[in-house]
Amino acid sequence: MSVELVTVVIDDREVQVAKGTGIVETALSAGIEIPVFCYEPRLGPAVGACRMCLCEVEGMPKLQAVCTMTAQDGMVVRTAQTSAKAAEGQDATLEFILVNHPLDCPVCDKGGECPLQDLTFRWGPGNTRMEFEKRTVEKPIPVSPAIALDRERCILCYRCTRFSESVAEDGQLVAVNRGASSVIATFEDQPYRAPFSGNVIELCPVGALTSTQYRFLGRPWEIQNVPTVCGLCPVGCNTHATMREGKVRRMLSRNHPEVDEGWLCDKGRFAFTHLYARDRITDPLRRVRQRGFEELSWDDALDEAERLLRDAQGRIVTALSGSETVEQAYALGKLLRRGLGAHTAVLPEETSSALDAFRLPLSAIRDAELVAVLGDEPVAERAPIVDLWLRAARRAGARIEHTGDAAESCRRLADGRDALGKRLRESERAILIWSAEEGSGGSHLAALASKLGFGGKPGSGAFHLPATPNGRGIADAWAACCDDEADSPEEIGLLVVSGDEAAADPNVRALAERAERVIVTSMFQGLAVGWADLVLPGTSYLERDGTYVNLEGRLQRLRRAAIPPAPDELAWISKLAERFEVEVPPYAAAVFAELSELIYDGLPFGEVGERAELRTRSEAPGGELPGEFAPAAANGELRLVRYRPLFSGPAVERVPELQFQRPSPEVELAPQDAEARGIRNGEAVTVGHAEAAFELRARINASLRTGIARIANEHAGDLGGFVEVTKP
Amino acid sequence: MGSRERVQVVLAGADEHDLTKLAEFRKAGGYKMLAKARKLEPQAIVEELLTSGLRGRGGAGFPMGRKASFLAKDTGKPVYLVVNADESEPGDFKDREIMFRVPHRLLEGCLITAHAIDSKHVFIYLRGEYSHEFEVLRAALDEVRDAGLLGGVTIVIHRGAGAYICGEETALLESLEGKRGQPRSKPPFPAVQGLYASPTLINNVETVATVPAIVEHGGDWYAALGVENSAGTRVFSLSGNVVNGGNYELELGTSLYELIYRIGGGIPDGRKLKAVIPGGSSVPVLTAGEIQYPLDFDSMAEAGTMLGSGAVIVIDDRCCMVQLGLRVAQFYQHESCGKCTPCREGTRWMVQILRAIEDGRADHRDLDLLLDVCDRILGKCLCPLGDAAAMPVASYVTKFADEYRQHVEEGGCPFGGQSSLEGVFAPVDQHAEVPVEVPA
Amino acid sequence: MMEGFAERVQELAMQYPDPRSAIMPALHLAQVENGGWLSPESFEEVGAALGLTPAYCQAIASFYDMYHLAPTGKHLVEVCTNISCALVGAQRVLEAFQQELGVRPGETTEDGEVTLRTMECAGGCGWAPVVVVDHRYREPTTPEDVPAVLRELRGG
Ligand SMILES: Cc1cc2nc3c(=O)[nH]c(=O)nc-3n(C[C@H](O)[C@H](O)[C@H](O)COP(=O)(O)O)c2cc1C
Ligand code: SF4
Ligand code: FES
Repeated sequence: MSVELVTVVIDDREVQVAKGTGIVETALSAGIEIPVFCYEPRLGPAVGACRMCLCEVEGMPKLQAVCTMTAQDGMVVRTAQTSAKAAEGQDATLEFILVNHPLDCPVCDKGGECPLQDLTFRWGPGNTRMEFEKRTVEKPIPVSPAIALDRERCILCYRCTRFSESVAEDGQLVAVNRGASSVIATFEDQPYRAPFSGNVIELCPVGALTSTQYRFLGRPWEIQNVPTVCGLCPVGCNTHATMREGKVRRMLSRNHPEVDEGWLCDKGRFAFTHLYARDRITDPLRRVRQRGFEELSWDDALDEAERLLRDAQGRIVTALSGSETVEQAYALGKLLRRGLGAHTAVLPEETSSALDAFRLPLSAIRDAELVAVLGDEPVAERAPIVDLWLRAARRAGARIEHTGDAAESCRRLADGRDALGKRLRESERAILIWSAEEGSGGSHLAALASKLGFGGKPGSGAFHLPATPNGRGIADAWAACCDDEADSPEEIGLLVVSGDEAAADPNVRALAERAERVIVTSMFQGLAVGWADLVLPGTSYLERDGTYVNLEGRLQRLRRAAIPPAPDELAWISKLAERFEVEVPPYAAAVFAELSELIYDGLPFGEVGERAELRTRSEAPGGELPGEFAPAAANGELRLVRYRPLFSGPAVERVPELQFQRPSPEVELAPQDAEARGIRNGEAVTVGHAEAAFELRARINASLRTGIARIANEHAGDLGGFVEVTKP
Repeated sequence: MGSRERVQVVLAGADEHDLTKLAEFRKAGGYKMLAKARKLEPQAIVEELLTSGLRGRGGAGFPMGRKASFLAKDTGKPVYLVVNADESEPGDFKDREIMFRVPHRLLEGCLITAHAIDSKHVFIYLRGEYSHEFEVLRAALDEVRDAGLLGGVTIVIHRGAGAYICGEETALLESLEGKRGQPRSKPPFPAVQGLYASPTLINNVETVATVPAIVEHGGDWYAALGVENSAGTRVFSLSGNVVNGGNYELELGTSLYELIYRIGGGIPDGRKLKAVIPGGSSVPVLTAGEIQYPLDFDSMAEAGTMLGSGAVIVIDDRCCMVQLGLRVAQFYQHESCGKCTPCREGTRWMVQILRAIEDGRADHRDLDLLLDVCDRILGKCLCPLGDAAAMPVASYVTKFADEYRQHVEEGGCPFGGQSSLEGVFAPVDQHAEVPVEVPA
Repeated sequence: MMEGFAERVQELAMQYPDPRSAIMPALHLAQVENGGWLSPESFEEVGAALGLTPAYCQAIASFYDMYHLAPTGKHLVEVCTNISCALVGAQRVLEAFQQELGVRPGETTEDGEVTLRTMECAGGCGWAPVVVVDHRYREPTTPEDVPAVLRELRGG
């Protein structure tokens, strides 16, 4: 596809750009800045509201808001640099913006990193001629527990409302009233409750929308931004951790155009305060008596750990979280497998490398013409940003098909006669997404993808949305540790529980019941105390150096932002390993170097990159289609779809600002199913079967398919299979 | 120019018959032109419109035929005709009279125009306050439907809800799409991407109601009416301090003098003429000495103002021009949509300055400031509403400079409470429903 | 819950290629049903009927003058105070109403009978001063007419 180049003259400088390039970008490519407020291409078509970008355009009598214009051949543009008229226009706009702005910069969080300050400094009037009463309104008002709104500072650029309406499409943050009394608002001041709300803070070009977590915490000249990657879900959004006095104070997006386009979910943005949770473990703990605990020194802790490991005589099982770094997993694997022949490890779900043959960047979803989402779990709950890519795809004209039960529809689509299957096969840019609680999904998708001929179509690919942030990287690292194999021990002498998600996992707790002894590494007392014999302090992804592999198969670099309150996992694993004659370097760089030789073609740690590239498609073991699917429902019953909510887990539970985001006790029903049962939206209903049943509120969801009842894990008790939903 | 025998086009026959009834309207030759038009090639009708020189009656005065020929062809999307019946320009009430007296002429115009542009969908965006006109139009539409005259065309009457800005064509389209009525930045123009991003022709009620006559008598006939560059007749809305206020359909080129004195009966109560607003509140004012100008596009431009929507507001010597400026500015502050900065902030600032001048709290610097604020709004806004506030107010300040200076020097209004606008209370002061602003 | 409201709204939506276009008539209908103003519940119902969020509905309603976001009186008296009416004495008419009703523009009488408002140009300039009573134009209305107008209102 060749692009037509056009020549544009800006401030007497000639530039060549692709036809249709925005004038703001065209100017930049000529080294000229055109100031903007409302212009933000990620929010859709330019609106030309703020009038900051006024320029002279040859052939047009009036000044033009060039943010709304694109490069055409022979265009001649004059910015404030060379046109007095344009300069006057920008000066005027700034004066108007400031007439009702409180100018309370000294107490504004945005101060020092505020486009309004900067542009006023560079283009604005030096003085104010406004001698009348400024608009004053109640302030600040909470937009949610996490976001504060100062309506006096608002310059009505409509970035935040455009994000809500046309990017996240949640329609919750809006402008009300008209003219000079317009204000940004939520419905009846209810909290802005949506998975991506926090992005409006970063979009706001002034201090109108601020983070309640960050309010009054730091001045821009006292902070450092550490470039790292979010470790809370398998997307791995690129982030900046803002540091002040050694503490993480906020998370910012760090636009990776292929991964996150500069958006973050509210979990990734706000959950970091779990680092400073009250029950954070800072010293090793040993069980005394039944439930009691005592701190012990690191030397004693290591002696104790060594003793427990030796006593187990190899009858050791390791429960991993899926959130360890590649390096941690490799180090632990070396210690346990090479040092003690303890090869057995369990991950929350199995992983598969089969999809490596159909690798694509997430951004390919936006460019797709047809997307099939297999599975009934909400994409936003499993891999939030993928939901935004899907919305972008739909806005760009793609068809998004939700196919229902993952395994079932996977088999259906593979069948040559299926209509949707045909369309997928014929499309040049088709995408498959597995959104269900099943690790083997990757392998199933791979099998389907090759049946659909995706192998030969560079624009078509498949994504499995795993349950863990780094399951894939960990599995590979663990496997690379040594070649020996061994069956898992009959009875478990020692259970090594690595990390908080594992510690919180009921299945792991069940294993612990069977184990003679238990070692847990965890960040939080609440998770470890009471059932572990030895507890070693854990760290967070924000405290680690290392690498993660995201759901695309992209190897990304974590940077230590905060120093952990205790030696990190690599440090003590390396010490402990010495005692078993295994050499494990205590530094991520060194560990990675060793592992990279084995599985990453010797890629140096330093070259993983700030904005990591996606490795090209590679040979992979063929996948396998799912077996016969589950029996159909007895009449009147609905198939229960449980899902793990985005806003859940040990970190989220420790963040006050996120509690309101947790799912309410409700069951989602398709309109038809609700009607058939005479159930109205918001009504209390009984969910369950003969053995177990309880009450939930019904939420009728028009986008839900019939035949299922969807409930968040924390409200589904131990229901499974099929359920009846009835009015009490 | 002497008074000529009055030709009526849009309101023709309304004095003699009750043209709101289909039967009466048909007796007067109604819907014959629709039949004729439907036998013609669409392009042929557009040609007639081009020949006729018919210019838009909504304010901008753009030739209807040209606009129709700009419509994007074979886009695979439907073509829409949208009739702008949001008439809200202060001084304007002509579209309203057209709708309650000759609704069928508007509907016939819609159906002919729809045929001319291959459109099957017509929307009439009717000002929300016009509830009587809504009923008249709806009744007429029912008659047309029952008489089987629609010929597969749907006409939907969409009622506004009180927002002057929705008269601006792109704001109207946003509003019609169910969004806040805020203007879009152009290009793309409605003819290319209008309603639901499809090619759309937008015309004013009077413009569309003129179409049947052009089909009947031909473009040349119409072009012969009026004067050069201003073909045909216009329904002028005459109001203010004049004996016979009302709508008068006159050929373009009739002088202000003739309209105000011969037809309007002059100024009541033996007062003196002070000023005239010739095209609705959005245009610069003319002084008593400037009423020899003919009412046509070019002459008004020559006089430094605009024909606008043909609303002539007569102002006698009791009126304080500062109060006039204040009231006009208040209107635009109230109606500013709030999307673009200069209009939203500038109109509010103008009101504050004018209030200070009227109350005698201002000094000479504030007069310059006021002119400068107007100047800083002019030509910098997303839509013409900002200009519509700045231009007239600036013209008051310059043309009645002495009166403005007097306010400053005498520390208050020289009319001492006797101005005809004294104590006028604008809706913008009212904000009862949405108490957004709280006292500092 | 107004009976059959959603159905009627969906009917309105049929007139348009995109149901969202029906939000203005839908809000109008909801306002009538709700006794002259739009409550938070009204927005929830309109939203539910058209698949829009209540916040969106409020954003639309608050943009237009004819949707009332707070309770109004049984009757609505609107006095045009734009220039053409003002030039011929709209103030006097407004004052007469204030006198008779004992409220200021924007307020409702104690007994909840009448809400008095000023309005921008009503589009009757040639027949000024214009007063709009319960959406019916009275042109012209002089201060002297005011008592009669109100008697008529309170009577019927
Ligand atoms: C603030 C503003 C208000 C307007 N109000 C109206 C109106 O009430 N009726 C109208 O026909 N045109 C109005 N216009 C002009 C329209 O934008 C548009 O030019 C016109 O409807 C085109 O129809 P015409 O070519 O037949 O005049 C307004 C323009 C502006 C900027
Ligand atoms: S709050 Fe910020 S982002 Fe939203 S409109 Fe105001 S200035 Fe723009
Ligand atoms: S940046 Fe162009 S108008 Fe806002």
